[in-house]
Amino acid sequence: MTPQRKIFLGVAAWVTVITAAHMATNVDWKVLLNDRLPESERKLNVAYIPVT
Amino acid sequence: MTDYISAYSKSGHLFIPRMFQGFPEIKEALISNKMQAAFMVAPMAIALRAQGVPIKIVYLGHRYGSAVVVRKDGPVKTFADLKGRVIAVPSRFSDERLIVFKTLAEHGMSAKDIRMVEMAPPDVAGALAAGAIDAFSMGEPYPSQAEMAGFGRVLFHARQYWPDYISCVLVVREDVIEKRPEAVQVLVDGIARSGLWLDNPDQPRRRARREHAADFVGRFYYRQDPRLLKWALTNPLDRVQYQPLTPLRKDFELIVNLMRQTDVLDRNIAFEEYVDPRFAEGAKTKTEWRYEPGDAIAQ
Repeated sequence: MTPQRKIFLGVAAWVTVITAAHMATNVDWKVLLNDRLPESERKLNVAYIPVT
Repeated sequence: MTDYISAYSKSGHLFIPRMFQGFPEIKEALISNKMQAAFMVAPMAIALRAQGVPIKIVYLGHRYGSAVVVRKDGPVKTFADLKGRVIAVPSRFSDERLIVFKTLAEHGMSAKDIRMVEMAPPDVAGALAAGAIDAFSMGEPYPSQAEMAGFGRVLFHARQYWPDYISCVLVVREDVIEKRPEAVQVLVDGIARSGLWLDNPDQPRRRARREHAADFVGRFYYRQDPRLLKWALTNPLDRVQYQPLTPLRKDFELIVNLMRQTDVLDRNIAFEEYVDPRFAEGAKTKTEWRYEPGDAIAQ
């Protein structure tokens, strides 16, 4: 394997891992999927702040 | 809390709770329909409605639970000692600001006697500890945070000067009320049932439930130390109350009057314009959740 190919594969693997980690930790899938449901079936998004 | 318990019920999660760090962001999310409902301070809800934002108050979040806190070893021993000092409030559209004005009037003082600053709730305890402010008027758990850390002392709880004090209310977008009233009713019913569950008349049971609630709300919702919420919910047990949560005309008319007096509302607004009482009426027959810590199902 050429050095260029090694570097390319290493960068690609790194980008894949970071992207997967970002999507797992920073994307709220529950909200994304809920927003795609028909309006009548959608759960209500309720905002709050951490005060009683 | 309602979300947590309802997750164990047959109907599953009723809504998706989304945590924000400030009220201005909640306002924008409501306007853009990113949020269909929100808990916010009552004067802000009234002011938004007066400005034409299509929301209505349908229920209260809780009663009491706000306090004015000063430094434990500081020079402020009585309310009159606040003269010339700096006090932080969460927003100019908050009951925590109105209680300061109300208390000033009862002591023959005016707004000119203190300097009021707006500060995000999570910042006030640190600001008090650092001496950047002399006092703060804020909802729980921030008074408890200052007490627990040992540098803060509650000068007075809001209920001492405002017996029917309310702070956070539940608002819902009007289009949701029109198109999906049954969903709004389910949400309000869940909050009513959670309130009854937390305020069970049997004191040991009430304490155990509040301690359990402090644990799961702290860990899964507020991202705060559960010990802090435990302090706020049990020290004493009526520090924050969850009944009655029906929006009452007299309570809101007092808020509107105080808002008018303190120049944060430029016109009178009728109760019917900003409150939709039908969901609170519908929730009146509800009973507490049948759920105890460790139960596999809530009913």
